[in-house]
Amino acid sequence: MAGLARRSVGFYDVLAQSVSAVAPSAAATTVPLMVAAAAGKATVLALFAALLLCLLVATTVNQFTRRLSAPGSLFTFVSKGLGGGAGFVTGVTLLIGYGFIAMFSLAGAGYYLAILVGHFVPGAESSGLLVCILIVAMGGLSFVVLARGIRISTRVTLLVETLSVGIILALVVALLSTQGPGIDWSMLSLGDTTPGDFAIGAVLAITAFVGFESSATLGVEARRPFATIPRAIVWTVIVSGLLYLVASYTQFVGFSGLGRDFVDSGSPVNDLATAYGVEWMGLLLDVSIAASFFACAVSSTTALVRVVFAMGREGLLPSTFGRTHRRFSTPIVAICVTLPILTLVPVLVIAVGNDAWQAMSFFIVGAAGGYIAAYILVCAAVPVFLGRIGEATVWPVVRASVAAVALAIVLTVYLVAELATPQWPGVVIVVAIVLLAVAAHGLLGVRYPDRRRSVGAYDEPTREDVLGG
Amino acid sequence: MADPLGASGELRARQPKAIHSALTVLEEVARAGAGVTAREVSEGLGLPRATTYRLLNLLVQDEYLVRMPDLRGFALGRKVAELVGSVAPSRPPQAAREVIAELRQRIRGGVHVVRYGDDSISIVDSDPDFPLNDELRVLREFDASAIGLLLLAEQRSLGRASARTAHAGRGIDDDLAAALARGYSSQIGRFVPGFGCIGVPIRDSSGLLVAGLCFSGPRTRIESPERIVAELANSGRSLAPLLA
Repeated sequence: MAGLARRSVGFYDVLAQSVSAVAPSAAATTVPLMVAAAAGKATVLALFAALLLCLLVATTVNQFTRRLSAPGSLFTFVSKGLGGGAGFVTGVTLLIGYGFIAMFSLAGAGYYLAILVGHFVPGAESSGLLVCILIVAMGGLSFVVLARGIRISTRVTLLVETLSVGIILALVVALLSTQGPGIDWSMLSLGDTTPGDFAIGAVLAITAFVGFESSATLGVEARRPFATIPRAIVWTVIVSGLLYLVASYTQFVGFSGLGRDFVDSGSPVNDLATAYGVEWMGLLLDVSIAASFFACAVSSTTALVRVVFAMGREGLLPSTFGRTHRRFSTPIVAICVTLPILTLVPVLVIAVGNDAWQAMSFFIVGAAGGYIAAYILVCAAVPVFLGRIGEATVWPVVRASVAAVALAIVLTVYLVAELATPQWPGVVIVVAIVLLAVAAHGLLGVRYPDRRRSVGAYDEPTREDVLGG
Repeated sequence: MADPLGASGELRARQPKAIHSALTVLEEVARAGAGVTAREVSEGLGLPRATTYRLLNLLVQDEYLVRMPDLRGFALGRKVAELVGSVAPSRPPQAAREVIAELRQRIRGGVHVVRYGDDSISIVDSDPDFPLNDELRVLREFDASAIGLLLLAEQRSLGRASARTAHAGRGIDDDLAAALARGYSSQIGRFVPGFGCIGVPIRDSSGLLVAGLCFSGPRTRIESPERIVAELANSGRSLAPLLA
């Protein structure tokens, strides 16, 4: 994989890639609200179930990240286990996931910046035009950060994320201290939530975690990739999961303390901060959540352009996509093609009369569908891969199988349920793109059978890595 | 972050055994040669498979081992190369030391002997009366010293590239072309202004570069090097069978 800056990225940069793709602070303040709309009182439990499922997926993905490093990440991993066809489909589902999360984040950044402006100019937060302008501005900023290269993008995002998580934790402490001691155990019961609604809640909760595997895309650039990447993936899941549990619990308790319903709030943290007399904290949070969304957009796009780059290098896309910038060593062509699309789609969705929150609810469907499908495929690939290299042992295979089956069940329940909601076009788009990909792959195989076999470039040891090589 | 000695900083009861097993795995890969699979290592050592795989993956994480491109096989990694490189080379034999001592009596200036690896230099005998100015730099920046230029020229003639050059652009092509044409290398002023050095290759019977003989002294003597090069080449011929 010549062209990328080989072995130049340390542990914290790798961690930053995963953390910013997850965007824990943005997710902690928006996803519980979406989960609550489906799972009601069982929100905290749904988040806990999602944490367990994501831990299973993380340790399963690490069966690959401990053994090979590849810029295509899951897409390359699946082709090592299930072959080029499944690898290609995974690549497409990942592109859907990264793309929709990037659009979700740009819309989210616009939404929270508009709320911020609304603090000073009343009514500004409901202006669709303002949100669109802010989204385009954020898109332009992402372009600069991405094109300048990896060191800038990962360090900035880790800093932003740390700051916003700090502010959220401060708010949590402030709210819990007004509640007094003791834990409201009713938060940890299913209540009257049906298993179907719980599954939907769990899928939405998983979207709060998606992106944790994205540091695997830095396999080529990371120093000691087989040590740093698995560690970054697992810790990202654990720490962001704990943050979600604390944050969602606090939001529920905070609203029940006010005697209001959590689900009716447009921006729960702002409402809570205002209600408990710390509005300035809400202001700070708006800035940091917008920054977190921006970081998430940047890192999802980073991951996305790297998959596009890998596909360009392997002949699945035109070879221009595999070109890198001469000075910054970034996949410049892939950036120039994808980023304008990711910026303009949210603008269009809002321009046709949706508000920003509706647009975000729409994008999250695509993100959930794309990511979870990719996770299912990678979990299914692990037992085959371990068997092929002769390193299959009981627990990794059991974990992979349980994760694959559980994810397949919740995703099916979720997609079927979403068909009956206003977000149904999201389901149709995801399913249609995947079916198109399968068809296109069949066609590609007929015309260029040799390209199909070569799928799955990974970073092979070069001469200086092997003693006496 | 993984803490190799545990949170307390002490070796816990079962850790010495784990370290022992890891080293045994490393030895087994070295013994079996590049391409040995995880299952072969496990069977060769009689270690449980899960344990062996975990240890192999740990050693790969720390780059003591690398996974081969087929993903099944393992080979020794660059950390092992670094360990080997840091072990001091053995003293040259008596006959070689006599040749060197005699040469030092005939030439006024520093005389040093080095041995070459694929992409490494080890100092076999440095002149105690005229110590090397910056030994580390000689070992790390091959484009700085005459000794390093010899190795770079050899690598270039074999179509290989070195990982150890500091200023790849700095007129190095001229230096290497001159060294290849004349059969010896030289530099002036890269360590101490007004001083320089000359390097003469020592080759084995097949023509492979195995060692180098270096003279360091003032600028004037580097600029008219004929007598010195002849002396060095002469002693080099005597040293070749002793060092190769």
